Amino acid sequence: MKKWNPKLMILVSSAIIGLFIANGMRLNLDLITPVTVKSIISAKNELSAAKLEVEDLEELIEQKSSELKTLENIASGEENIIDIIESDLKLNKAKAGYTKLEGPGIEIIMFDNLLLDNNVISYNDDIIHDVDILNIINDLKVAGAEAISINEERLTSSSEIKCGGPIIRVNGRSLGAPFTIKAIGDPKVLMAAVNAPGTYGETLKTIYGIGLEPYIVDKLIIPSYKGIFAFNYAKPMEEGD
Amino acid sequence: MVYALVGILVGAIIGFLLPYTYNTAYTLYISVAILASLDSVFGGIRANLENTFNTKIFISGFFGNAILAAFLAYIGDRLGFPLYYAAIFTFGTRLFDNFAKIRRLWLYKERPIKTKE
Repeated sequence: MKKWNPKLMILVSSAIIGLFIANGMRLNLDLITPVTVKSIISAKNELSAAKLEVEDLEELIEQKSSELKTLENIASGEENIIDIIESDLKLNKAKAGYTKLEGPGIEIIMFDNLLLDNNVISYNDDIIHDVDILNIINDLKVAGAEAISINEERLTSSSEIKCGGPIIRVNGRSLGAPFTIKAIGDPKVLMAAVNAPGTYGETLKTIYGIGLEPYIVDKLIIPSYKGIFAFNYAKPMEEGD
Repeated sequence: MVYALVGILVGAIIGFLLPYTYNTAYTLYISVAILASLDSVFGGIRANLENTFNTKIFISGFFGNAILAAFLAYIGDRLGFPLYYAAIFTFGTRLFDNFAKIRRLWLYKERPIKTKE
């Protein structure tokens, strides 16, 4: 092999290094930090959050464009604004509980423990309390109940369920046992919410011996709210403030 | 040493003038490779001053070290473990080692002190 001049070798090899260094400088990169598992996870979280935000915004776009469409229809005279507002009013009334509603759901009949010779410590364990009703109602709401009534008293957002001695008070009216709770929703899910092992309803039935008989009904009719609701203190806030 | 500096300068000028650049994804590998080959060049300078320069060793070290360092960085990337630290520590230490010896050889040119081999 031909003997190379060491100085020339060093010159050439350092030229190669210089070439790469200059190339790297031209890329103008930010400082490279080692990628750790932690940074990958945090980047992933950021990404999923951003994706969620995009989804929300896309939904908003859809909603707004449909709103715009209705407004355009109104402007072109295809739709009457009174009709739209009336249908809006209907929907809002139904939501607030001022409309009779019908649909599939379950009917629960609850009555006090009628056996007299059972070994209970207190007679309080034998009767239905406001708390029992409240818990059952809550379970039904979790299961997706859309409208609920107790003994033909519609439950609204301001309905109370209060103990009143031998009776309970709902919407300011006194109701006595037996109670009939009606709920519109997915019958199977609602049934499971009061009947499945471990639920409050099942505990009431099997441990306290309180009567709790749920039935699936294909066409339930839930009455409207009979009272008058008015705001005395609360004021609606302007949107966008 | 002067040759190395001149070489780096010449290379840098060519690099700035060349229209080609490598992919940004390879930056880590390239920088580790640069470190390894820089160490080889310093080793070459030292060997030249000690009159023990061997072309075969220099060339194989120059490219071999660079490729090995880049390969380590690549494998580490695939495994999710920073293996290139090995290259950085080894070549970084050796770089300063070589430089220290070059300084001593330069400063005591008239009466070279004994260096451990």
